[in-house]
Amino acid sequence: MRAILNFAAALFVTNLRATLALRGAFWFAAVMMLLNNLLYFSIWWIFFDRFDEIRGWRFGDMAALFGVVAAGFGCAVVFAGGVRDLGRYIIDGELDGFLTQPKPPLLHALGSQSRASGWGDIASGLFLIGISGVVRPTTAPLVLVAVASSAAVFTATGVILHSSAFWLGRTDSLARQFWEFQIAFSSYPRVIFGGVLKVLLFTVIPAGFIGFLPAELLRDFTWLGLAAVLGGASAYVLLAFAVFGRGLRRYESGNRVGLRA
Amino acid sequence: MSHAIEVRGLRKTYRVRERREGFGGAVRDLFRAPKRELVAVDDLSFAIAPGERVAFVGPNGAGKSTTIKILSGILHPSAGDAAVLGLCPWRDARQIAFRIGTVFGQRSQLWIHLPAADSFDLLARIYEIDPATYQRRRGEFVEAFGLGPLLKQPVRQLSLGQRMRCELVASLLHAPEILFLDEPTIGLDVTAKAVIRDLIREQSRREGRTLLFTSHDTGDMESVCDRVIVIHRGRILLDRPVAELRRSYIGRKRITLHSVAESVDLKLPGVEVIERRPHCTEVDVDLKQSSVERVVQEVLRLTRINDLAIEDPPMDQIVQAIYADAESTPAPEALAP
Amino acid sequence: MTTAALHPGFRPAKYLAVARTALRQALAERAAIVGRMAFYFVILLIFSQLWYVVGEMGALGELGATEFLWYLALTEWVMLSLTPVHLDIEADVRSGEIAYRLSRPISYLGGRLAEAAGDCALRAVTLGIWGFAMAYLLAGSLPKDPSGLLLALPLGVLALWLGLVSMAAIGVTAFWLQDCSPVYLVWQKAAFILGGLMLPLEIYPDWLRQVADWTPFSAFMYGVGRMSFGFDPVLAGEVALRLVGWSLLTTLLLVWMYRRALRGLEVNGG
Repeated sequence: MRAILNFAAALFVTNLRATLALRGAFWFAAVMMLLNNLLYFSIWWIFFDRFDEIRGWRFGDMAALFGVVAAGFGCAVVFAGGVRDLGRYIIDGELDGFLTQPKPPLLHALGSQSRASGWGDIASGLFLIGISGVVRPTTAPLVLVAVASSAAVFTATGVILHSSAFWLGRTDSLARQFWEFQIAFSSYPRVIFGGVLKVLLFTVIPAGFIGFLPAELLRDFTWLGLAAVLGGASAYVLLAFAVFGRGLRRYESGNRVGLRA
Repeated sequence: MSHAIEVRGLRKTYRVRERREGFGGAVRDLFRAPKRELVAVDDLSFAIAPGERVAFVGPNGAGKSTTIKILSGILHPSAGDAAVLGLCPWRDARQIAFRIGTVFGQRSQLWIHLPAADSFDLLARIYEIDPATYQRRRGEFVEAFGLGPLLKQPVRQLSLGQRMRCELVASLLHAPEILFLDEPTIGLDVTAKAVIRDLIREQSRREGRTLLFTSHDTGDMESVCDRVIVIHRGRILLDRPVAELRRSYIGRKRITLHSVAESVDLKLPGVEVIERRPHCTEVDVDLKQSSVERVVQEVLRLTRINDLAIEDPPMDQIVQAIYADAESTPAPEALAP
Repeated sequence: MTTAALHPGFRPAKYLAVARTALRQALAERAAIVGRMAFYFVILLIFSQLWYVVGEMGALGELGATEFLWYLALTEWVMLSLTPVHLDIEADVRSGEIAYRLSRPISYLGGRLAEAAGDCALRAVTLGIWGFAMAYLLAGSLPKDPSGLLLALPLGVLALWLGLVSMAAIGVTAFWLQDCSPVYLVWQKAAFILGGLMLPLEIYPDWLRQVADWTPFSAFMYGVGRMSFGFDPVLAGEVALRLVGWSLLTTLLLVWMYRRALRGLEVNGG
């Protein structure tokens, strides 16, 4: 376990240096993403300026939710930026390099890339959580828990979606699209969803674990809520490892595509 | 342990979906696409002793890359058995990984925006090389490979040949017992190719490393390897020492003449004109009947020349000749010693 | 070479042929079509829930959740139908492909716009049919006065043209910036907010609404979406006039930027 953490740390440092190697591009991407997110969020400011609240949800709740989702997404693409390209790695045989090295290939593939714009997501997320007014000094450490588990679920669902390439072939653009749908589902007030949709949001599309539950943890801490957040995140992570591991047995190293030509 | 690599009855098939024509076909494919089985490697068996340098040769799609990928733990075979350093490559991939190295000509293990030194540092952590050993080996390689001035430059600024030298170091840092190379010289110019070949050969000789090498280039095979395995349609067609192959199949040269005279008519035994353009003649020479020297002398007697190139026949031709022989023999396996 | 945006011997048939070819190409990219439809559906689904809940509180006044959902169906129809022509122009500039395209006997900008229009036409038709069906399904009915939807069709076409010209202008900024995506993101967010993509401008504070009316965006999105609230030919005429006016202004800006960009290209040794 320590060896793996050591490896993950070394990988992240290398990755960060690669991102910072193009310093101008780094700052530009991060600042633009920060502006982009804040501008987008201003729609909710307009909305709550007019309607005040819907079923008990107010502006602060929305800011906390949006903040957790943005920061979670940002962490996912900063620390596990390879997830967006995982499908392509599988199809084009780019997993080869990770498979011949003696470290867990999934971790290695995820950590092999980092997106500069993710830092802008993280910054805007923390800013929104800050202005939401739901966090008190005593609950501040929970922000870390909320954002980390949101990022974990984001990454896990990305792995599951992209692993479909092991069985179905070139699915990477669809996988990416469905992955980003989760952001859409996660960043609306939970209270508007009912019935079947609510069940879906806590299972197939785990918007509940990406946004709703972690954000609620910040507002009203309960041990049950904490257990749900951590339990949900662990379950998705385990599922992701299992699906990827299964797929790896069918890995064709880009050969199938080559043979078809 | 008597063999570095041992393969018995290895087989790998892919299921390929057939696509039907047109929009209707595409819709029907969504539900039930007909599948076809494609055999990439078919009942392959061979053994390689420690320290042996083996070239794996064959046309595109012959199954060489698939075999190397199975042996290096990337692919799971459909059937058969293999042992690499006494371990099973797909079950004990993690353990084997510490003891093998891979160089895939088309893929890089270097971080493109960072200097190669950063990638080496990370690899030292990945392979858990202790710092003292790492520093020592890196120092040796930097000297032997002439990397000193390149080490601090971002990899994207290096030439292809320089990059390949760094790739080689990256896969040798942990002193692997076996090195798998898949087309390591692809895309390199003649000089860079020669440098890479020398380095590969020298390094493997010094550390007694086993090599398994695929290439399209006859030169790679001749200058690095001592044994050659030719495979075709997933089966072994021939397995011989390189020297012997040279005697039976590489005993030919290709000579291109750019002459002052519009055409040159060579009447020597074993010389065959392949292509004739104004002021340019390409001939194939059977060295058993006429030496290169003899041919050149004859040409100079007939005309002055502006330029002259002497090359090995392309791999395809050698392989074709081997196939032609194999076709006339009932069982291809009979060729294996 | 000083190429005008459109060549002197302007032959519409040529550009029509380009547009037709682009349309056929877009037809072949089935996964992209399905992906767009799925996204459209997801957005409509979420907002049908949102407006249902808000409508239940009686906060929407005389208009109901149904009209608000149809409003979104119309604005998203415009937004999702837009072909990202700026990305094509950016790619041409970055790869140097533009040098080859400039030497062809067809205006570069005209050709790119024709291609985008062809692709956009396919998107508009597929998404139009899909959006109509999904909005009907999710809202449960047509808007109170469905005849307004008929007015939205021609307005949508005008809005799409304004969108394509604007995005082409954004693409031309790549001559100076290399990467035009930051400019695009700002433009897109301005369209979201000032255009009222998700929320009709009726909901906005007065001052923000006045700001929006001074920009092209309020006609571009809100002007089209507003037709779901009822049949209002006078308003439609006004929106149409504003769309045409802004399109002309943007086209002038585009041509001016493009000419300056080409001059820069010559200086760089084109």
